[in-house]
Amino acid sequence: MTDKNVLIIGGGVAGLCASLELANLGIQIELVEKSIFLGGHAIGYTCKATRNTCVKCGACMVEEKLKNAVSHPNIKILIGSQVKNISKNGRFTINIHQKPRYIDSQKCNQCAICLDRCPLDGAILNGFSKNNIPFYGINEEKCLYLKDTSCHICRDECPEKAINLDEKSSKYVSEADAVLVATGFQPFSPVGKPYGYGLFKNVLSTLDLERMLKQTARVKKPSDNKPPERIAFIQCVGSRDSKLNHLWCSKVCCGSAMRMARRIKDRQPEIDITVFYIDVQTFGKDFEQFYKDAQEELGMIRAIPGDIYETDSQKLKINFLDNNTHETLEEIFDLVVLSIGITPGKDNGEIAALLHLKLADSGFFESRAEEASAQNTGIFTAGTISGAMSISETIASAGKAARQIVKYLRPNSP
Amino acid sequence: MKDKTLILGNGPCAHYIAEDLLSTGADIVIATTDKTCDFSPSEHSGSIEILTDTRLVSCRGAVGDFRILAAQNNKEIKRTVAGVIVAEEGQRKSNFSQYGLKASSNVIPLFRMKELLLDASRDPGIFSEVKKVAFLNGVFQESNPVIAEEIMQSALRLQSDLNLKTYILTNNLKVAGNGLETLYRETKKVGTVYIKFTSTRPEIHSESDGSIQIEFIDEITSKKFRLTPDITVVDETIVPSDYAADLAKLLSIDTDPDGFVQADNVHRFTVFTNRKGIMTAGPSRIIQARDDQIVDAGNAALASALLMAGLPAVPENRAEIDKGQCIRCLTCYRRCPYRAITLNTRVVVEPHACERCGICAAQCPRGAIHIKDLEPASISKQMTPGDTPREDAAFTPFLVAFCCSRSAVQAGELSLCMGHKLPPGLKMIEVPCSGSISFDHIFAAFKKNADGVLVLTCHEGNCHSERGNVYARQTVDQIADRFPQIGFEKDRIALQTLASNMGTEFAEMVNRFEANIIELGPSGLKK
Repeated sequence: MTDKNVLIIGGGVAGLCASLELANLGIQIELVEKSIFLGGHAIGYTCKATRNTCVKCGACMVEEKLKNAVSHPNIKILIGSQVKNISKNGRFTINIHQKPRYIDSQKCNQCAICLDRCPLDGAILNGFSKNNIPFYGINEEKCLYLKDTSCHICRDECPEKAINLDEKSSKYVSEADAVLVATGFQPFSPVGKPYGYGLFKNVLSTLDLERMLKQTARVKKPSDNKPPERIAFIQCVGSRDSKLNHLWCSKVCCGSAMRMARRIKDRQPEIDITVFYIDVQTFGKDFEQFYKDAQEELGMIRAIPGDIYETDSQKLKINFLDNNTHETLEEIFDLVVLSIGITPGKDNGEIAALLHLKLADSGFFESRAEEASAQNTGIFTAGTISGAMSISETIASAGKAARQIVKYLRPNSP
Repeated sequence: MKDKTLILGNGPCAHYIAEDLLSTGADIVIATTDKTCDFSPSEHSGSIEILTDTRLVSCRGAVGDFRILAAQNNKEIKRTVAGVIVAEEGQRKSNFSQYGLKASSNVIPLFRMKELLLDASRDPGIFSEVKKVAFLNGVFQESNPVIAEEIMQSALRLQSDLNLKTYILTNNLKVAGNGLETLYRETKKVGTVYIKFTSTRPEIHSESDGSIQIEFIDEITSKKFRLTPDITVVDETIVPSDYAADLAKLLSIDTDPDGFVQADNVHRFTVFTNRKGIMTAGPSRIIQARDDQIVDAGNAALASALLMAGLPAVPENRAEIDKGQCIRCLTCYRRCPYRAITLNTRVVVEPHACERCGICAAQCPRGAIHIKDLEPASISKQMTPGDTPREDAAFTPFLVAFCCSRSAVQAGELSLCMGHKLPPGLKMIEVPCSGSISFDHIFAAFKKNADGVLVLTCHEGNCHSERGNVYARQTVDQIADRFPQIGFEKDRIALQTLASNMGTEFAEMVNRFEANIIELGPSGLKK
């Protein structure tokens, strides 16, 4: 049965998983991803196994889903693509804008010469998954050729002649019987918080740390590339924050921070790590044991620091209120990691308008309201578009949405 | 006749699944140990059979053809179903002993408070004698969002509708659930007092008149307080039901450390088990809020729909048992993680249930199980050294790395993609699971002049075949232990674990291994 088509917007965990579930039932999928890399934020997450034991963070599952989706015959993937408008007359007609790819995925052999030779930092981006082909992409905001045609080293040096910097954007029209919106979340930007993110080199977000560990396997201070002696994690940055009107727990940060902290201790045991927190949330099925071990390995302080200052030697001074003495204490760290929360996708407003969907006051989608109307409208949602979720919860959310779509398309098929 | 799905359970999750499947015309059987079942589906096209007071006795066969034997009042019931979904409810245990308390009229478990609140909506007078209610929430043991939500909901009702003073004593407040942070703030707004413990714990005393006194040091003001609640509500621990534990055994499903019916393994996300065609959903697999049970139900229905669309594909070159060599020792039957080997008049590999992990073949003491392309003889044909010499070292070690297809092969490819340099003499050999590697495979590598053999496999707890990496470690350890006895260096063989996304670590591992082997020099077994 290959009678039906579904358009899936968003190539992150939810979009990839829903694509696979539906494709396995013989439904044709077009998966539209805005960026040039699939896998959403989670494809940049590191494996957090400690003492050779899996801690069930789910990062490897994202890699597996991505691999299976790109090789599935029923899934057509459109990266660098954005939905411009959708109309419904029986079926959906979707106009999609496709950015130029610049790198020919058929020709590119992932030799990395373009990345090596490019004179600018960040003008050639590399992905996190080898299954994302090509592994590299041109950053339109930085590339000198796209600015003023002054540099074309990558094109000239590519041994496969895979780079065409003159490629133009194109339009693509898709027809679909149902639409799934899975555009995900926006990691909280900690720039507005008094923690010096973006100002002090050695203040990172958990997302930065995930990527650093994934790429280099060790933690280093960005200021001098040397391992830090003391690291502080600050939890709930952008979550559980009434001043920001972020009245939600992002669910995943305690697990992400503490699993990374223990993974760092595993490989670099000389590093001293402190976690500042409000309430440690339960994550994983073996949480009780994990937390006991973590309390032995990590310093746990139940306080959220007010400010961070940089010392003359690029160390970071953290002030916080000590519960036992009621005094403001000061501690010096070499590296501070901000556990940034899950916030509504920055395109949510635009998407809601495009599809006539309703946003909750929080800025997330109303998953219950969507569900109730989806069997009439044919527009479904999945994943962190409707709130914070872990990788496993996102996979589950995608499975449930896939089930609803199947029922919508094939109401009488058991 | 269409194939049926058996749903084991009688709680909300089981009913959501039943409703979902029936609505698309699937045929289902619900079996429950409960005496009654009040499930009444809305308009549906599928057929339904409800078996109450029924316990599973055995389940034979494999995906698409499970032969179920159950007992109902000493009556035997036999059904054949295509798939099974375990959707049993969890069980609650009140934590009185943790707090050194005994149940009484003023010390009640959480479920009793929920009952009282239901009664209070008809008769608000039942709380007329009560002024203060204290909730104990994960004070000595970590709680979870399901219990935290019920406690906060109860406090909200008592405080705002019934004008009682409520206190929640808690260690880490679990707000990692939908809407719980908002609920927390609502309770605080109406006046619920939260007493949070970090480094201290309260002292709870039962007085001779039965009243409760809770003494604690407030961690914010450092002052000593005494609370004398009229009602003290004790929280609960959620555990799998005894029947769920029985089901796991009867169905040969791996459980997690707490006994929930699903291994704690990322490959089982969301509702899958080690057996194809047997799913597990809702509180039978995890502590779960109602919303998440609906999500699980959708996933179970989806898995069932996929099964109805066709049996899982039979792997190419799956395991085959040589009747002549098999002595029916049943090692394969015990070791197959997927229960794909069944016993009949002879031992049979169920084609649709086999995942081609190769564990049975590697573990068979008689070498009676064969998997094409995975035999030591055919694998050893792949063991050819590269022709690029390492000029900066005394010699170019020939390294054979057996790589699990799910983790190490992926990590190795990623490593190259990231631009890491790998040893020129490294030969990666892809195997479906490291559990497929036998002594013969490893000896074949040394016979083929390998200077070192690496087994690269998944982290513990991450093996798709559950214990394949454990078997591989046993094999490697046994060989390494014997090597010194024959005058061979034990460091020529090693096992390392990694994940598919560990490209950098892959390079580190193989390069470190190469350095070790360069130090040892060429293998003494080399011809």
